[in-house]
Parts: sequence; structure tokens; C-alpha cells
Amino acid sequence: MKVRVRFFARFREAFGPELEVDAIKGETLLEIVRRAASSKRDGYSTLFEEDGRLKRFVIVMHNGSRVEHADAEQISVAEGDEIAVFPPVAGG
Amino acid sequence: MYTVRSEEMLSDNELRRYSRQIPLIGEEGQKRLKETSIFIAGAGGLGCPVALYLAAAGVGRLLVADNDMVEESNLNRQILHYPKDIGRKKVCSMGEKLSEMNPCIKIEALDAEIDEKTVASLTAGADGIVDALDNFPTRYLLNGVALKRGIPLFHGAIHGFFGQATTIIPGRSPCLRCIFPHPPPEEMFPAIGAASGFIGLVLATEVLKYILGRGELLAGRLLIWDGWRGSAEEVPVMQNPACESCSGMKERGG
Ligand SMILES: [Zn+2]
Repeated sequence: MKVRVRFFARFREAFGPELEVDAIKGETLLEIVRRAASSKRDGYSTLFEEDGRLKRFVIVMHNGSRVEHADAEQISVAEGDEIAVFPPVAGG
Repeated sequence: MYTVRSEEMLSDNELRRYSRQIPLIGEEGQKRLKETSIFIAGAGGLGCPVALYLAAAGVGRLLVADNDMVEESNLNRQILHYPKDIGRKKVCSMGEKLSEMNPCIKIEALDAEIDEKTVASLTAGADGIVDALDNFPTRYLLNGVALKRGIPLFHGAIHGFFGQATTIIPGRSPCLRCIFPHPPPEEMFPAIGAASGFIGLVLATEVLKYILGRGELLAGRLLIWDGWRGSAEEVPVMQNPACESCSGMKERGG
């Protein structure tokens, strides 16, 4: 099944605006994000720490609602789902 | 939510100056602008366009705080500072330009660092706070004082051609920490003036709508601007019941 992963702000520099991932039944949001991240050079280290956790400041949305990182590890994806991943920007 | 404090009349000069916007907002609206004090935190890339357009619109009192000096590398985006201002305090350079541009309003240039000790006194008397800063630790201080005083915080930030903006109305919308519980790592961010300008003018528009009590604020919505694509999107943002800054303040009402 197809799941869309959308990226915003400077994450687009690494991933482009969106990636489509072929998800396996039962895969979680985080697994999909991990797979999308790994599909690009340097993509993984943009989103994940060396120990495999998502960087703390990364915001994950599932079909328009914010999800905590811990929940992203639990929630399974469904056909047509949209996951959005973005960083706050800080400059003035 | 917002009360006009006095019945001061607009001068003939003001009626002429604002004659293209009075049909839009009424003399009543123009008086509201005149009677409002807005605190602008930062006289840099975001602060310059915000202050410029709030001054032009006739917001009566602008308090601008910054303790930096103008550097040559600021000039690509901090559009109120000129080469002759290099080495001067940013707030002085800015205050001068704004007063010249609109002598009908009051500008208070606050040459001060915003920290835990100064944030409350600097913002005292302000009806709203504009976050035109470049770092999250200080933004959280402004968030705290806005929540405490029940006044809005207009948040904006940029990175390269990207930007974001949202409006925080204490008690009615998520606060800055609900939306961004963890700041991104500090970095030397790339900046292009057109992105600061875009986000700065979103903030100025939010301030005007808030003062006028019209339109729909970006409360509970985060606007994300991608200048490379020319697209603005919004994502809904929610109050975090476990937020360390605002939980337990919900009942205050906006
Ligand atoms: Zn909060």
C-alpha cells in the first residue's frame, strides 16, 4: 500500500517535497519515516540520531495531527495515509 | 478582548495620511491602532519589516528591543539599516528611520538584552509581543511573559528561503512551547531578505488584525512558507495538555 511522506522547510533540501513509500501491512509511522529517510544520501542523519532515535526537534504529523515520537513507534499506517515531517526554523 | 483606552481624536494630518486605509478599517480602527503599544523583540531581519509596516499603518507606540550593533553582513536583509549605520546600535538606526517615516507615532528604542531579568520590565505596557528573534531560548521567555500577562505573541522565524509564522493567543491557542517543545540546534542560519520580509509582513498583518479584532488570526495554525516553491501551507497545531509552559492556564480565556 502507498503512503505519502511529506517534508517541509529545510528538510526539503534533503528529500524534496514528498516521497511515496510502499508500506507493508503493520508497519509503523516511524518505520516508514526511517525508510523514507534512508532512501536519500545523508537523509538518515538529517532526521535520526546515531542511536536510531528521531531527533528531538523533528515534528511528525499523521494525517494532519501531531504525533509524539513514542506514539509514532506504535501507530501502524494504512493505505493512503499522509505523514508530514518538519523542523522548526529558528532564524530571524 | 481588546479595549480602546481613550477617545483621542485623529488629527487632520492623520486623517490625510491614513485616508487610503480608513475606508477599510474606519476612523475607529485607526484610533485603535493609534492607541496600541506593540513590543518588537529584535531589530534584525524580521524586526525591520514588521516595524516598518506597523509604523506605516499608524500603530501608535512601538517598543523595539535589541542590543546588537549593525554589521555589514546584516544589510542583505535588515532593511532599515544602511551602510552609514554600521557600528551603531540597531535600535537607534531603526528608531531614526521609523520616526522620519511616520512622525505621528512614538518609537521607543530599547538598547537592552532580553533575558530572564529584563523580559518583564521591557514588555511592560505592551498590548502584544512580536517575536522577531533568531533563537528559541529567548523566544521561550517571550512566550512565558505573554502567557502570564494574557497578551498575544506573534511568532515568526526563517531559514534561507523558508519561514514559519503563528499567532499565540493565551488561553485560546497552543503556546510556542506546545508547538515547539524542543528547539532545533543552534546554527549560523542562511538568510535572504525576501524570506524575512515575507514572514515579517505576515506578522505585521497578524498584529493589525488582532488590534482591529477582524479577520482570522493564525491562532492554532502554523503557516509554513517555502519560497523556493512559492507555496504557503498551514498545519493545525494543538495545545499540549502536558506543556510545561501553559498547561493549567487553559481556563484563562482569550
Ligand atoms: Zn503550551
